[in-house]
Amino acid sequence: MRTPIRILLAAVPIVALSIAIPFVNRDEPRIFGLPFLLAWIAWWVLITPVFVWSIGRVERRW
Amino acid sequence: MSAVSSLGVVVAIVLGTVAFALVSVRHMKMTPQEYIVGGRGFGAVFLWVLLAGEIYTSFTFLGAAGWTYGFGAPAFYIMAYGTVGYVLGYFLLPRLWKIGKERGLLTAPDFFTARYNSRNLATFASIVHIVAIVPYITLQLSALQTFLTIAGYGAIDARLGAVLAFLLTLAFIFATGLRGTAWSSIVKDALVLGALIFVGLAIPIHFFGSPAQMFDQLRAANAHLTLDGTFSAKGTVWFISTVLLTGIGFFMGPQSNAAVFSAKDGDVLRRNAVFLPVYQLIMLLVFFAGFSAFLVTPGLTGAAVDRSFLVLVAHYYPAWVLGFVCGAGALCALVPSTALLLSVASISAKNLAGDVFGVARDDQARVLLTRVMVVVVGLFALGLWLVYSRTLVTLLLVYYNAISQFAPAYFLGFFWPRVTTAGVATGLVAGIALALIFAVGNITPFGLNPGFLALCINALLTISISLLTSKSLALEQ
Repeated sequence: MRTPIRILLAAVPIVALSIAIPFVNRDEPRIFGLPFLLAWIAWWVLITPVFVWSIGRVERRW
Repeated sequence: MSAVSSLGVVVAIVLGTVAFALVSVRHMKMTPQEYIVGGRGFGAVFLWVLLAGEIYTSFTFLGAAGWTYGFGAPAFYIMAYGTVGYVLGYFLLPRLWKIGKERGLLTAPDFFTARYNSRNLATFASIVHIVAIVPYITLQLSALQTFLTIAGYGAIDARLGAVLAFLLTLAFIFATGLRGTAWSSIVKDALVLGALIFVGLAIPIHFFGSPAQMFDQLRAANAHLTLDGTFSAKGTVWFISTVLLTGIGFFMGPQSNAAVFSAKDGDVLRRNAVFLPVYQLIMLLVFFAGFSAFLVTPGLTGAAVDRSFLVLVAHYYPAWVLGFVCGAGALCALVPSTALLLSVASISAKNLAGDVFGVARDDQARVLLTRVMVVVVGLFALGLWLVYSRTLVTLLLVYYNAISQFAPAYFLGFFWPRVTTAGVATGLVAGIALALIFAVGNITPFGLNPGFLALCINALLTISISLLTSKSLALEQ
């Protein structure tokens, strides 16, 4: 059931937190004083629930 | 005097938690379902508390702060991998729950009997789980000793204190089962949150003005705020492979299985996969604590690195604050220990004694034997810790690498109908053997995490042997 959309929604945060890391491995620009690398990881941890919740929407679970 | 008040707070927290959980657990007739998987009745919030309670152990906090202090940016992987684990968990856990409910599964090895119809595979999984989890329990004991040593300002024999606290925990979990773990997790999660807000926010604000100013000082001190190199030790390739390995292996511990089976339905697990990453954000506070200690008490080496932020609290804050932080820390060692003990005890009682040797197969005998095994395993871990506390760390380094090798059996088992028992058995045995060899020999080509390399070979073997064996079966028919 709409498998490609679900795989995409799951893959985006996983890729952002793994394969994308070499591209964000920087101190600048600083976000609220945090090194960009740490801010990037924290941001994706914060918004991953939106992606996972969306998978549930696509599956019409809520 | 300050030792008395800080230890007093620690003792009050531990006893208060046990008392709270004992009062809260409903007393009912114990069946194996009730004792081991909480009667499969946990709702979304209760399960959230239980999962957070057993996932975030003393090792998570001491290890993460120690890594931040010692290495800097490589520690950030700890915040990333859990999040990857939860995304994958959304797909995996409800399916695991379903087969658990339909076939009445109680333990992790039960999955191998149910999905692969192989008693041998289940027995092999049982032995691997027991060998991997016992050192993990002894590690919690070491952490407990650390918290008590610091809380007593070095004035008491913390080893004795750790033994007493652990024995109390054994008696507690003997009586309550998984519901006891869940109720005590409520107190643990709340206190840990309070303690982390203190060490992760109040400390940077107190010493540096704000976390942002702390990072400015870290830059001036040449701290590692980004990863060094691509293929180097703890470079970006290491980071990626470690996040993927530990994310894929996130729910492979047998204690996670019990939590999954305790859910009321599959949606409870899906909701938890959505909201648990939020809890993961508290790791940010642990990094702040580790970085603060790096600036305030520089130059620590060895085991002292892991307790650097506790030393800082002991130096600059009143005894009751230290007692509160160490009490929360002690719960981080004791509460996950109850889940670990239950999982090893249930595997030995159900999968080894019951399935292999044919003893204690009716409900009443099985509950009794599981309870007895909680005590036996607990005392065994305690003895092992008292005798070999140092050398066990080596075993623990490979815990995650070994336990993650179960991932292909679970993921392919649910999402690839052609996977065969022969494929899984070959991949699993090879993966665990290679994980041990790579870890002990420190074999890290291109900077890859050795466990990740083993997992890739494991998955390739599982898939290719499955293709071969399923085809030959098709030809025979």
